[in-house]
Amino acid sequence: MKTRFLFISSLLLIAFAIYAFNVPQDQKKPAPWKIDAKFKAMKNPAPGDAESIKLGKALYAKHCKSCHGNLGLGDGPKAANLETFPGDFSDAKWQATYNDGEVYYMIFAGRDDMPKFDGKIDEEGTWAVVNYVRSLKK
Amino acid sequence: MKKILFSTLFTIALTVGLWAQEDSTVVVKVKDKPVRPPFQSGYLIDNQTTYISSPKTLELDIHHKFGKMGNGFSDLFGIYAPGANIRIGFSYTPIKNLQVGYGIAKQNMFSDFSAKYTVFEQTRKNTFPVALALYGNVAIDGRNKDVWSLSYKGSNRLSYFGQVIVSRKFTDWCAVQLNSSFSHFNSVDSLYDHDKISVGINAKFQFSPQSSILVQYDLPLKIQGIAEHTEFYKPAKPNFGIAWEISTSTHTFQIFVTTCESLLPQQNAMYNQNDFTNGDIMFGFLITRLWGF
Repeated sequence: MKTRFLFISSLLLIAFAIYAFNVPQDQKKPAPWKIDAKFKAMKNPAPGDAESIKLGKALYAKHCKSCHGNLGLGDGPKAANLETFPGDFSDAKWQATYNDGEVYYMIFAGRDDMPKFDGKIDEEGTWAVVNYVRSLKK
Repeated sequence: MKKILFSTLFTIALTVGLWAQEDSTVVVKVKDKPVRPPFQSGYLIDNQTTYISSPKTLELDIHHKFGKMGNGFSDLFGIYAPGANIRIGFSYTPIKNLQVGYGIAKQNMFSDFSAKYTVFEQTRKNTFPVALALYGNVAIDGRNKDVWSLSYKGSNRLSYFGQVIVSRKFTDWCAVQLNSSFSHFNSVDSLYDHDKISVGINAKFQFSPQSSILVQYDLPLKIQGIAEHTEFYKPAKPNFGIAWEISTSTHTFQIFVTTCESLLPQQNAMYNQNDFTNGDIMFGFLITRLWGF
């Protein structure tokens, strides 16, 4: 009886150890966004406008920087606690993957770790953040 | 026949031409948009601002004041002092520019119902050069009825506060507001007046996207026209405060020193006996949390 108990306990312990050492510790890579066609077709009213980028920078500092980091590298102070890597805006590949309307949608609607900013940032401000995010490309 | 046809066509052409001229002189009205929010929060230390959150936003407020700092290190500048006060409140914005709220405060076990309405916002092209907001509350003193002795009636517990606030955003980093308020207490001690008019000036100086310095000065007025006695008994003293405000996406933090110990504006306007020129000041903080629905 005692031997069986020890055997089962050992098996459970080994199973737990195997599980514990195989749980992925890295953040998930973000899955592609499913974006409504309406947003994909949206045109940025003021792409690259200096005044808009200035406003976008201020809003980014207030709403986005804590996760996305100062330079949009995805290294803000809260980023490490997120389940999904928040993206690297300096990456030319990321910048080319999504058009302005799609970035607008990400801010507007959010998903998972990314909160929605509908109601927190108005339309003008959201486009300003899009413009600022574009300016972070290297 | 040709003459008639020609003159008809000529008349039509002339008329259309005149209409076209009229059309070309129509003034195209460009919609003048409101300026971006002049303040980061609906609170400025003890005062309300003209700012109201977006529709369908729920706000939680935790407003705390420690005791007076006068005793220095012995009570760690009021942090260990017994006179602390706290208010926990909720407010909700059901429609654009209208906010309703409810809160409870430790001092006098107050419960208060409030409403704020921004009548118009300052616009970018100065169609409206300032923003105008109206704020009002009704507070219920929740202490035991023995406080009012034999003359107790339920309505004795009520006090009212109404305020007009006018703000102007001068630049992205500077906004100033003036306010004027009327406070009424249904029941006061025999030497006090029931009514008090107060004025104030508040300012925000923003020095980074998230940080600002806030300043307030409120001055209760001694107006004989609304007084019930020939002399003012213990007239309320001015309220001065200065704060450091940090604003994030869904939170606002204000860490301040201020003169008044109450967290209800009518109580400050009527009863404040702290004098900041004598060092009657206290630490406090305000935390707001927003949820969007």
